[in-house]
Amino acid sequence: MAAILPPKQQGTYTFASQPRAVRQRKKYRDGEEDPNSSQYGNIMYDRRIVRGNTYAQHTLPATAQPDPIELQRQQELRRRAMARKRAKEQLRPRSPEAVEGRKHIDVQTELYLEELSDRVEEADVDTQTDAFLDRPPSPMFIPAKTGVDIETQILEGELFDFDIEVKPILEVLVGKTIEQSLLEVMEEEELANLRAQQRAFEELRNAELVEQQRLEEQERRHREEKERRMKQQREILRKEKETADKISARAFSQSYLADLVPSVFGTLSDNGYFYDPVERDCEQGFMPWLMDRVEEQLEKNVNGRTVLDGILRAVVQSRHEAFKKLEDAIRQQQLAELAAQQIAEEKNRPVSVEGSKAATESGETEKPESEKPAEDETAAVTEPDTEVEQEPEGGVGEEEQQEE
Amino acid sequence: MAKTVISALYPPQIDVTRTPLAYGDRAIPRLNRELNDDTLLTRQRAVRSLCDHLHDPEHIAEALREGIPTSLKKLLKDPDITVRQKATESLYVIAQHAIGRDAFLEHGIIVPLSKLFDDKEDIARKNAHLAIQMISETTIGAEGIVNAKLVAKLVDKLKTEHDEIKELILDTLHFCMRVDTTNALNANAMQVYTDLLAHELTSVRAKTARDIMDLSVPLAGKDFAVNVGTVEKLIGLLQDSDPVVRANAAGGLMTITITTKGKYTAINGGAIEPLVNLVDDPNSEVRANSLKALTCLSEAPEGRATLLTHVEKIKTLMHDPIPAVVKAATIAVKVITWKP
Repeated sequence: MAAILPPKQQGTYTFASQPRAVRQRKKYRDGEEDPNSSQYGNIMYDRRIVRGNTYAQHTLPATAQPDPIELQRQQELRRRAMARKRAKEQLRPRSPEAVEGRKHIDVQTELYLEELSDRVEEADVDTQTDAFLDRPPSPMFIPAKTGVDIETQILEGELFDFDIEVKPILEVLVGKTIEQSLLEVMEEEELANLRAQQRAFEELRNAELVEQQRLEEQERRHREEKERRMKQQREILRKEKETADKISARAFSQSYLADLVPSVFGTLSDNGYFYDPVERDCEQGFMPWLMDRVEEQLEKNVNGRTVLDGILRAVVQSRHEAFKKLEDAIRQQQLAELAAQQIAEEKNRPVSVEGSKAATESGETEKPESEKPAEDETAAVTEPDTEVEQEPEGGVGEEEQQEE
Repeated sequence: MAKTVISALYPPQIDVTRTPLAYGDRAIPRLNRELNDDTLLTRQRAVRSLCDHLHDPEHIAEALREGIPTSLKKLLKDPDITVRQKATESLYVIAQHAIGRDAFLEHGIIVPLSKLFDDKEDIARKNAHLAIQMISETTIGAEGIVNAKLVAKLVDKLKTEHDEIKELILDTLHFCMRVDTTNALNANAMQVYTDLLAHELTSVRAKTARDIMDLSVPLAGKDFAVNVGTVEKLIGLLQDSDPVVRANAAGGLMTITITTKGKYTAINGGAIEPLVNLVDDPNSEVRANSLKALTCLSEAPEGRATLLTHVEKIKTLMHDPIPAVVKAATIAVKVITWKP
């Protein structure tokens, strides 16, 4: 038998069997055996070695941890089997203990054996039971009579007679029952009658109730309809009145406002609220523009005149200087003539008079020639002036006439 | 067989399950005493005897005088089922009489009795419902039930109880709704009834239809019925094989079709044809109710247009042997042929 394993340690690896010294097998059976010691080392009996087929064998997976409860149970079973075995061994008949001073020893008994040679004579006898027969039932067991017999005399009518005794009781019972049931039947019948009557009454009552409710409902509907109609009528009247009021108010306001419109228009147009857009545009837009243009034109005119003035001045000055020169020349000539005359006079008098006459004739012819172009120029300058001044007046007048 | 000889021996206890009654006037006081006994067996026997004894109407007044209702009220809370069952049965018997119903209200038995609606024994529940139904038959009793706020509970029970008890509850509610319908409407009874209309028992269907008729008497009930879809179910029941179901279905329709909404729901649901077919039913109530329903439907222009083709059939009913039918037929013809 496998040795009981020490409780498994909670570790990664445990060795399956405890290490131990190999023992010599005992030749004879010992009185007491050490349960912890191993009895054999034969591989054929080793529990850990599988014998036979392994199909139905329940093998635990190698890695699974054995269930502690299962393990404990198996240990318990093993322990119990062992205890049983031990008890059985102890119960086995054995030779009694040796007497005091002696001792059991193992003896070879062959020498003392004796063959039993005298045989007892034997004879074989046999018997056969009869076939089964129908057996009557065993009679009722009647115990044997004991005691003393005693007898007594009973006369007619002295004994309990069921017929007589039961009669009054039965009569009472039947009578009571019948009475009771009659009462109950009557009760039920009365109830049924009442119900029937009630039903008949209810039939009438329900019909009447419904009729009453129907009429009530009808009345209610009629009343509602009437109210609705009245309300409608009232509404119509109200609307009519409202319309009449509106119409009268309209007429009144129309008559009241009839005069108002022309007067208002009059006032407004007087105040200038109504205007001609063309006229307004002319006034607001055209006239300022026109004035601007006129001013511009006038300015140009003035500028022209100023320029002309400048030219005139320059011409007049140059002329003036030219005359002045001429005068000087003349004067010097005269002076020279005078001087010459004087010289001539001094020398010969007639020659000096002719010289002075030639000098006066040349001065007269020169003068008209220089004045003429100057007069032409002034006339040319003054003429456009008058035209410009006259023109705008005429234009405005025409346009104003057109607008009107 | 009969002989004049009578046994000298006094007969032993004939029926061990019942207390032997004391003679004459002493019977009730003795029973009352034993009802309050501590021993269970004594109580059981007493209550059984009492139950039988009360079936005789002559004994009711005396029992009430002796204060039997008080003792029974106490026994309603008894842990033993036999005692409870028989006590409720006794109360049912008492409730069949006018003075008994008065005593119920006087002693306030309705509320303790209604506690037994939740009893786990069917027989006790049934007897309790029987007694309550009996009380509800009168207006005062129905008022008592309504005041005890039992209507909502009853409507609730209607969903879960056995068919036999359902009938009793429907009866009770029928009477209660005569007094007050708001409680039932608040408990959503219309929906429950509408679901019950498809029940397989004719009596349940008939009683449900009747309860719908009661519940739709007020305006709110009619609106509820239209919203919940009761009208279509009722139209389906008009072709039922049972005359009572037909009568009550027609009755339900006649109450619902009072309102304009109800009328149009019924007309659109095709109620006119089956109703016209019911006009010559052998049952007078069916005839009367269907005529009333037709009268209501003919107030709508569409209904009138359809019914004008059936006037001749309705006119034949003006010679019916039942005066109520004649009256209903006359009104119906008048309404159908009315011209604005």
